[in-house]
Amino acid sequence: MSAGDAAPAAIRLAGVHKRYEVGQSAVHALRGIDLEIARGEYVSVMGPSGSGKSTLLEILGCLSRPSAGRYWLDGTAVDAVDADGLARLRGEAIGFVFQAFNLLPRLTLLENVALPLLYRGVPRRARHERALGALARVSLEHRAAHRPGEVSGGERQRAAIARALVNRPKLLLADEPTGNLDSAHGREILTLLEGIYADGATVVIVTHDPGIGARMPRRIAIRDGEIESDRQEAR
Amino acid sequence: MSPLESLREALRLLRAQPLRSLLTLFGLVWGTAAVIFLLSWGAGLQTMLDTAFQRAGKNLVQTWPGRISEDFSPAVDRRWLWYTPADVAALRARVRESDLVGAEARTYAPASFRGRAFSMEVRGVDPESQAIRDVPLASGRLVSRADVEHRRRVLVVGHRARERLLGADGRLGSWVRLDGTPFRVVGVLERVGTQLSRDGEEIDDQLWVPLSVHLALWPNPWLDEPMLSTIFARAKDRKRIDEAKRELRRVLAERLGVPPDDEEAVPIFSPVEMLERLPVDQQNGLYLLIALTTLLVGGIGILAMMLDSVQERRAEIGVRLALGARRRDVLLQFLWEGVAIVALGGALGVALGAGGALFLASGAFRGRIPAALRDLVPVPELSAGVVLLSVLAMGAVALAAGLVPAWRAARIDPAETLRVE
Repeated sequence: MSAGDAAPAAIRLAGVHKRYEVGQSAVHALRGIDLEIARGEYVSVMGPSGSGKSTLLEILGCLSRPSAGRYWLDGTAVDAVDADGLARLRGEAIGFVFQAFNLLPRLTLLENVALPLLYRGVPRRARHERALGALARVSLEHRAAHRPGEVSGGERQRAAIARALVNRPKLLLADEPTGNLDSAHGREILTLLEGIYADGATVVIVTHDPGIGARMPRRIAIRDGEIESDRQEAR
Repeated sequence: MSPLESLREALRLLRAQPLRSLLTLFGLVWGTAAVIFLLSWGAGLQTMLDTAFQRAGKNLVQTWPGRISEDFSPAVDRRWLWYTPADVAALRARVRESDLVGAEARTYAPASFRGRAFSMEVRGVDPESQAIRDVPLASGRLVSRADVEHRRRVLVVGHRARERLLGADGRLGSWVRLDGTPFRVVGVLERVGTQLSRDGEEIDDQLWVPLSVHLALWPNPWLDEPMLSTIFARAKDRKRIDEAKRELRRVLAERLGVPPDDEEAVPIFSPVEMLERLPVDQQNGLYLLIALTTLLVGGIGILAMMLDSVQERRAEIGVRLALGARRRDVLLQFLWEGVAIVALGGALGVALGAGGALFLASGAFRGRIPAALRDLVPVPELSAGVVLLSVLAMGAVALAAGLVPAWRAARIDPAETLRVE
């Protein structure tokens, strides 16, 4: 798919670099990434630790801006968007799933799932209903009133996925979503993510587990901040 | 995120670690309570002193016989001076700064009633001096102008003097002997209470007779004209006591033939002046300083707690930012948390301080103070102004203690907190 097509790509990166400073030394995490991901693609980003794959995910998720290069999210040039606009993009267009789940421990699962709606200004009652719906989608409605500490790791990650889905994002970003889970729970999570992909959302999963990558139609490998390979399997 | 949600979040924060919250809030609660209580107490102290100093008469200016000062006359002329009723008449005609001029004569005389006998202070009074003293009557009447003119042997008794001398049997119409002369009791005074400024006995221990009778019965043996013990005046305006004094001295000095600024020849005293020399304002200022410092320390506690909370919740802030929170949302959340915590501590502090002040002012507490001391223990005066001041001070603390952590929280980089190392 090229920029000339009627529908813009879900993600387009052109010459993206990312440098940041850790203490005294500067890290050059991304060194000129050019990447296009079409809408509704199911993509894995793989690479060893320190390869820059998490940094790539941060940029895709509008959590940080590239040091150089440009990024279009669904046709929108992200570098032209102000801080509040980025917050809106994160809240409305993007769903995050983290390795460490990152549920807020003092909130119930329902409240956790409702958080993105809170920042969108959805009224309380509607928030409640939609969050419950999202929990039902991951078969957790019976745990709605529990706190994250009271449920299993797999359930926590399912709740995190419900939270990522509650705003019906066009792009779902998952950073090692199965990294903290045993294989049975990990498979459960992958099945869920595949379901989301089947519903038409673009899904990008960062992982270093080749077993997960093998399940995905498009596999991007990153090494030392550069794209090493980009394989697409015919469907 | 709405303020209500932030408040809920703040309460959750407090509940999460009850002991730490309690310890942190304690400084704030105590500071607020201290501001309210100490300011109320200070106001009560001011009133107490004011009352205790002015029980002998409001805006009283008083003079007694002096003698010519060494600075102005040769030694041979340094004689004692005295005041006569004619001086009082002259003053009444000429002073403008005072609305009343009265006189008293004083002596100690044996007083007896039905077998009881004491040496008591007997004062000759006139209607003006009684008006200046302004003591309410428990029963009967005061010494009237007619009593003075006709030299009636009538007696008005102070509250404690009645208890001691008349006991249970005495009443209006009883006859009391003073130096052997019978006087009929026509009035009993209400209790005046402890006087921090007085000339002789407290009013509660005095016996009052008409001035003319006093001058006739107890004349000064060295003089062939009546001699007054004190002349006093009531200044029209408390703020113009100095002017009232100067005027009094000028008229009296002229009549005595001494220089108009001779303070030894015409010594003048006023309780108000003495009251104003007391460092009450400084003391209240010190109270306020201590109270505000306590509040400040409380605020620092809150600040530390909030900063700690921001540090602890970096990951949470990162998650909230990733889920679409704007920096403004995070800022407001922490600001509201700070405000909610301060409001909670402040409300407890106001309750504690006001409760303490109200308790000390209550009958239940006042009743436990020994009667002799009661007049000297301030009644805390809780005013809206005091509460308002403490609320304002608290608001400043809240803003400071909430803003800095909130600012920090809003500047957190979400990518950094979410990165799994």
